[in-house]
Amino acid sequence: MVFSSVLFLFRFLPIFIICYFWAPQRMRNFILFLGSLFFYAWGEPVYVLLMLFSTLSDYVHGRLIDVFRGRRAAKGLLISSVIINLLVLGFFKYADFLIQTVNAVVGTTFPLFNLPLPIGISFYTFQTMSYTIDVYRGETKVQKNLLDFGVFVTMFPQLIAGPIVKYKQVEARLHKRETDIHRISYGAKRFIIGLAKKVLLANNIGVLWTDISAMNYAEMNVLTAWLGILAFAFQIYFDFSGYSDMAIGLGAVLGFHFPENFQYPYISASITEFWRRWHISLGSWFREYVYIPLGGNRHGVGKQLRNILIVWTLTGIWHGAGWNFLLWGLWFGVLLIMEKLILGKILSGIPKMLGRLYTCVAVLVGWVLFAVESPEGIAGYLSAMFGINAAGIWDRQALYFGTQYALLFVVAIIAALPVVKILVNKLESRHTGLAIAVYRFGEKLIPIMLLILSIAYVVEDSYNPFLYFRF
Amino acid sequence: MNDKKNAYLTIGLICGILLSLTVADLLKSDRLYSETENRVLASMPEFSKEELFWGDYNEDYEKYVTDQFIGRDKWIGIKTWTDIVLQKKEINDVYLGKDNYLIEKHNPEDYPEDLVNTKLEALKELVEMWDARVMLVPTADNILSDKLPAYALYYDEAAFLEQVKEVIGDEHYIDVYSALAEHSEEEIYYRTDHHWTSLGSYYGFRAWAEHMGRYAYPYNTSNMTTVSDNFLGTLHSRININVRPDEITYFSETELRPVEIVYDLIIKEDSLYEERYLSTKNQYGYFLDDNHGFVEIGTGCKNGQTLFVIKDSYANCLIPLLTNHYENIYVMDLRYFNGRLFDFMETYEPEDGMDVLVLYNCIHFLEDFRYY
Repeated sequence: MVFSSVLFLFRFLPIFIICYFWAPQRMRNFILFLGSLFFYAWGEPVYVLLMLFSTLSDYVHGRLIDVFRGRRAAKGLLISSVIINLLVLGFFKYADFLIQTVNAVVGTTFPLFNLPLPIGISFYTFQTMSYTIDVYRGETKVQKNLLDFGVFVTMFPQLIAGPIVKYKQVEARLHKRETDIHRISYGAKRFIIGLAKKVLLANNIGVLWTDISAMNYAEMNVLTAWLGILAFAFQIYFDFSGYSDMAIGLGAVLGFHFPENFQYPYISASITEFWRRWHISLGSWFREYVYIPLGGNRHGVGKQLRNILIVWTLTGIWHGAGWNFLLWGLWFGVLLIMEKLILGKILSGIPKMLGRLYTCVAVLVGWVLFAVESPEGIAGYLSAMFGINAAGIWDRQALYFGTQYALLFVVAIIAALPVVKILVNKLESRHTGLAIAVYRFGEKLIPIMLLILSIAYVVEDSYNPFLYFRF
Repeated sequence: MNDKKNAYLTIGLICGILLSLTVADLLKSDRLYSETENRVLASMPEFSKEELFWGDYNEDYEKYVTDQFIGRDKWIGIKTWTDIVLQKKEINDVYLGKDNYLIEKHNPEDYPEDLVNTKLEALKELVEMWDARVMLVPTADNILSDKLPAYALYYDEAAFLEQVKEVIGDEHYIDVYSALAEHSEEEIYYRTDHHWTSLGSYYGFRAWAEHMGRYAYPYNTSNMTTVSDNFLGTLHSRININVRPDEITYFSETELRPVEIVYDLIIKEDSLYEERYLSTKNQYGYFLDDNHGFVEIGTGCKNGQTLFVIKDSYANCLIPLLTNHYENIYVMDLRYFNGRLFDFMETYEPEDGMDVLVLYNCIHFLEDFRYY
């Protein structure tokens, strides 16, 4: 089930919220667990068993690691937990990719499994791994209540598209949580903003990318190519960060504090900064459980560069089992290494605007690798962007696309920059009666208008893709 | 108002909207058909274990809930309105043109060279076999191109028609493009529908008469009869916003002499026009009772001449104008005919032969023209 659907907004959500808040405190985790299973099973009636298996496996591993704490067996149990998670992930996500690659390289004809990818598998396996690792490291207490642990893994708000919540980030609130009216009100508004980002901005501008990406790249002019990849950049940002907003908002309503996942990534003045602002929960996961354990930057530059490459290879293929995703990860790995070695110094010496321009181009080239997939397609699209295919700067159609989407691009740019945030801060810092009245009026009127517009788009439902089916 | 009350108010408003819509949606009854969208809406899927685990039950159910959602038409209206505020000039493949014209979009990529060649080959065979005349009517985007949004793309039918002329030869090609282009300032296309108006078809008729070298019956364009002033056509259905409705007019001279009509070999009528359509959404069905596979028209014009028309819905408002020129008119819509066309035509051909006319708009021709 996805959030931006009539089914979620007008069936699942109202029924769930009423049951949840009507029930006494001690029943709430049970309701959340059941609701989450239903939410997941709606689209994945079979794979829900896989998720339950994963939950049970890591629950048992956590308990055993705790029992054998300080002994060698604990380490063995940790390795077993990680291997089981990686096997599950590897089998369902990467097996066909590996077979295809072997077939292509060696010339064999091993058959593919052709299994559909279980939704959210990359998110929940990473979450449960964070648990067993932290229990082993003694950074968190073991969870003895299976239901509470089940809630952590299956919790529907962040189940299918993150943020990737580490166990220790929600531990304190897993068993029992107080929520107050301010958090609920904040959560509801945050959810609506996320919904609006997804259905009003991402879906709308995504239509342009869908149109342009289907065209013939060999004959595509420069303007069309840039409009297309810009549209994709906005689509994936608003889609993904919108989903995170919805998750964080729903979490707040239920009494959780989920970590922030996006911090205006497109204002970054370097790739290093970009990855501190984009999909923060994934970056921090890899940092904590891969980069630092590998030695981070503590064993000399050579080791550090190796570690960066490992992390970015993994980040790449985490996003999908395909060579283009690997390439996409390495593209950023190489840029980050260059920034560490020389580019960083140059960037700090030039005006910030130039740094932003460089980041923008680097990220957009990255999105071509991410979105186009086939090697010929990527080469064709990049040569269209940089005019190498000699198909001209613009044509009638490019101008048509431009005029059609000009206003939407303006809205998207404003929404992707911290413009509203700055305005709200200014308004809040003034304690005059008028400022407070304007603020209170706006904080209700704007979410309600966004909600009504979003419902209209959800009901019409002509273009509502789910972008994370490969994550 | 303190902070707490303020937060309660916010939650109250949001929950109020979601809950009242949910309750209202659960209480309302299902619709079978959407007039505004012109399609059958999804209905409640039947539940079974197999469908749930291995079939499409979930998807079907979501489709059902979405299609039947309370106030669906209003929500679609809000969406369209938002699109327009965002300066979108194109909704559901309909251009929002100047002067309140809705113009159907035809993407050049949808009509590639090999499709054109296949259609023209079939056309050529028909033309050579029957000495047929061909009138392929350009659509509004080509004739009213100055009313399109800036830089809007359209399939270039002028270039396509040049190709047609080359393949079938001047002697078979009726140049309706120039005839319409000359009158592009007049109301020759509906503003809310993809068809041409009776006036547009009159210019087509004139082009036909000129091509055939025949005296054209003097229909009076300044004295046409208006039968409807509230026609909202197919293009309006696709975008569903408030626009000024169209008028439907016709030439009353076509009713001076009695006609006998047989639809699909069974239904007998005595008029070219069917008033009952004027109270439905599909008002263009007024002409020749909407679409039929085969129509036989016997006219009061006793000159012994026969015409066989192979056509789309554009022909429906032009054929009445031909009733003053032929005693028998046979009208064939290939979309509803699966037999062998030439065999069928032979059974209707009188001993002294008949005229054959192929009458489509360019787009329908490329999409629908095929025979066995």
